[in-house]
Amino acid sequence: MARVVVLGAGVSGHTAALYLKKRLGRDHEVIVVSPGSKWNWIPSNIWVGVGKMGADKVVFPLAPIYRRKRIEFHQAKAVALYPDGDAHNPRGQVEIVYTDPTRVGTTERLGYDYLINATGPQLNFAATPGLGPDAGNTVSVCTPSHAVGAAKRLAEVITTLKAGIPQTLVVGVGHGTCTCEGAAFEYAFNVEQELQGAGVRDKAEVIYLTNEHELGDFGVGGMTFNSGGARVTSEAWMESLFRERRMKAITQAAVTRIDPGVINYTQIDGTENTQKFDFAMLLPPFRGVGLKAFDRTGAEITDTIFAPSGFMRVDADYTAKPFDEWTAEDWPKTYQNPTYANMFGVGIAFAPPHAISRPYATPGGLAVAPAPPRTGMPSGAMGKVVAMTIADMILKGALAPTHHASMGEMAAACIASTGTGLRRGTAAAMSMSPIVPDNARYPDTNGRDPRTTTGEIGLAAHWVKRVLHTMFLYKAKAYPFWYLIPE
Amino acid sequence: MTTTQDRIDRAPLPGAAELARRSNLGVQLLRFLMLNFTMYRLAKSSH
Ligand SMILES: Cc1cc2nc3c(=O)[nH]c(=O)nc-3n(C[C@H](O)[C@H](O)[C@H](O)COP(=O)(O)OP(=O)(O)OC[C@H]3O[C@@H](n4cnc5c(N)ncnc54)[C@H](O)[C@@H]3O)c2cc1C
Repeated sequence: MARVVVLGAGVSGHTAALYLKKRLGRDHEVIVVSPGSKWNWIPSNIWVGVGKMGADKVVFPLAPIYRRKRIEFHQAKAVALYPDGDAHNPRGQVEIVYTDPTRVGTTERLGYDYLINATGPQLNFAATPGLGPDAGNTVSVCTPSHAVGAAKRLAEVITTLKAGIPQTLVVGVGHGTCTCEGAAFEYAFNVEQELQGAGVRDKAEVIYLTNEHELGDFGVGGMTFNSGGARVTSEAWMESLFRERRMKAITQAAVTRIDPGVINYTQIDGTENTQKFDFAMLLPPFRGVGLKAFDRTGAEITDTIFAPSGFMRVDADYTAKPFDEWTAEDWPKTYQNPTYANMFGVGIAFAPPHAISRPYATPGGLAVAPAPPRTGMPSGAMGKVVAMTIADMILKGALAPTHHASMGEMAAACIASTGTGLRRGTAAAMSMSPIVPDNARYPDTNGRDPRTTTGEIGLAAHWVKRVLHTMFLYKAKAYPFWYLIPE
Repeated sequence: MTTTQDRIDRAPLPGAAELARRSNLGVQLLRFLMLNFTMYRLAKSSH
C-alpha cells in the first residue's frame, strides 16, 4: 500500500487529493494536511469584502468530505520535510504541528511515498511596514475573515460619505513585487459599484494603485485580444473602463510604507509620493510558507528543495538570464522536484522560473516587478496532472511523470466581476492562451493565440462568474460526478 | 510625460450601442452560452 501526503487543501491540493483518491481507491492511502478546518473559494472573497455575500457562503468544512471520500485529514501545518527519512528509517517524512483544537501544538512525523506541496502563499504583510489588517493600517480580502473586516470598514466609509464628508478609497497592491493584480482590480470595481448603489459615488474618489507598468498588465505582460471583432490591447481596454467608471489609477508604484491614512510609494522614475486615504485595501506580496528540509543526518537542505522565495523548485529552468532570453519552454511541465522524484510542488507553492511581465526597478534599485500570477484554473490543472502522474507511478510503475500542464501551454480565464446583481451585475471576462507568452509559436500576436485570447464586458460575464462560484463549490464538495467539471 | 491618468482621461468611452449590448438580456444570454462553452473548451484543452 502506497501513501501520498498532500500538504495544503486549497485549490490545487484539494483537487489533487480528490483525483488521487478517485484513481487509487481503497488500496492506497491519501492523506491531506492543512492548518484550516475549512475550504475557501478565494475568488468569491471579493463579494464578501463588499458585504454582498456572507463569509459562510465561501467556505465549508473539509472533514466531512474527506471522511466520505476516505481521505485521511490532519488539521495541522507542515513545518519540515525529511525527504531521505531519518537515521532509523529511509522513508520520506514530513513533520507537522497540529492546529486541530483537540491536540493543538502536538508534533508528529508522517511517512510518505509521494508528497505534494500545495501550501499556497504566505501572505507577507510584514514586507511593507503598516500593511495589513492585523498590525497595519489597511484592510485585505485574502481570507474570509479579512474580507469581513474589509466590508465592515467599507460600510463605515459609506456612512461617512452619506453624512456629506468626502472620502478617498485606494485599492491595489501593497508592495513592488506583488501578484494577483486581477483580484485587486476586481475589488476596486466592486467597491465602486457599492458606492454607486449607496448613492454616494460623487463624494468619493476611488484610486487603483498598482505595481503594473500599465493598466491591464495583470502580471502577465498584458495581452492583445479580440474584443467585439477588433484587436485591442488590454491597456486600452482598461483605460476605457476606468474612464467609464470615473476611477483614477496610479501605475508603476512600489508601496514602501503605510502610515495611518497615508500611503508612501516610489515610482519607477524614483519619485517618492504619498497618497492620503480613508479606506485602503492593498494586497500583500506572497512568499513560500517557510517549510524547512533536512537530510538523514539532520543537516539542513532547505536551499536544495526551495528557492530563496520559499517556493518549491520543480522541473523549470531556473538559470539566470536577461528578461528577453526567457521563453515559455523554461516553465515547468510536470511539477516534479529535480532532487526528489517523489516530491511535487503545485499551485502557488512552486517556484516560477521568471517574471512574465518585464521587471523594472527604481534608480535606487527598488523592484517594481509584478510576480507571475498562478490563478485558480492553472492551479487546479496542476493538482490534477500531478495526481494522475502519481497514480500512474503507483498503479502502473511509471518511472517518469506521465501528465503535463505547462503555463507555457495552458490557457487562463479571468472573470473580474465589476459589480453584482442578476440584472445589474457586470464583469470583464478575459481569456488568454497561453498564460506565458510563446513568441516562437505566436510571433505576430505578442506570444498569444489570437483565437482564444479574448475580452468582453457585460452581464453575461457576471452570470458566468456566479455560475463558477456554484460549480466550483459543487466540485470541491465532491458531489456526484464532480470530476466532470473542469478545473 | 503622459501618465496613466492622462491616458484614462483621453480614453474612448463605450458608445450607446455597446452599452445596450452589455445589458441586453437576449444578447447576454447568447454570450453567456458562448462564454461557458469557451471556458469549458479552454479548460479541457489545457492539460
Ligand atoms: C482575493 C483573491 C481573489 C482571487 N480571485 C481569483 C479569481 O477570480 N480567479 C482565479 O483564477 N484566481 C483567483 N485568485 C487566485 C487563487 O485564489 C489562487 O490561484 C489559488 O487559490 C491558488 O491555489 P493554491 O492551492 O496554490 O493555494 P491556496 O488556495 O491558497 O491553498 C493553499 C493551502 O495550503 C494550506 N497551507 C498553508 N500553509 C500550510 C502548511 N504549512 N502546511 C500545510 N498546509 C498549508 C492553506 O491553509 C491552504 O489550504 C484570487 C486570489 C485572491 C487572494
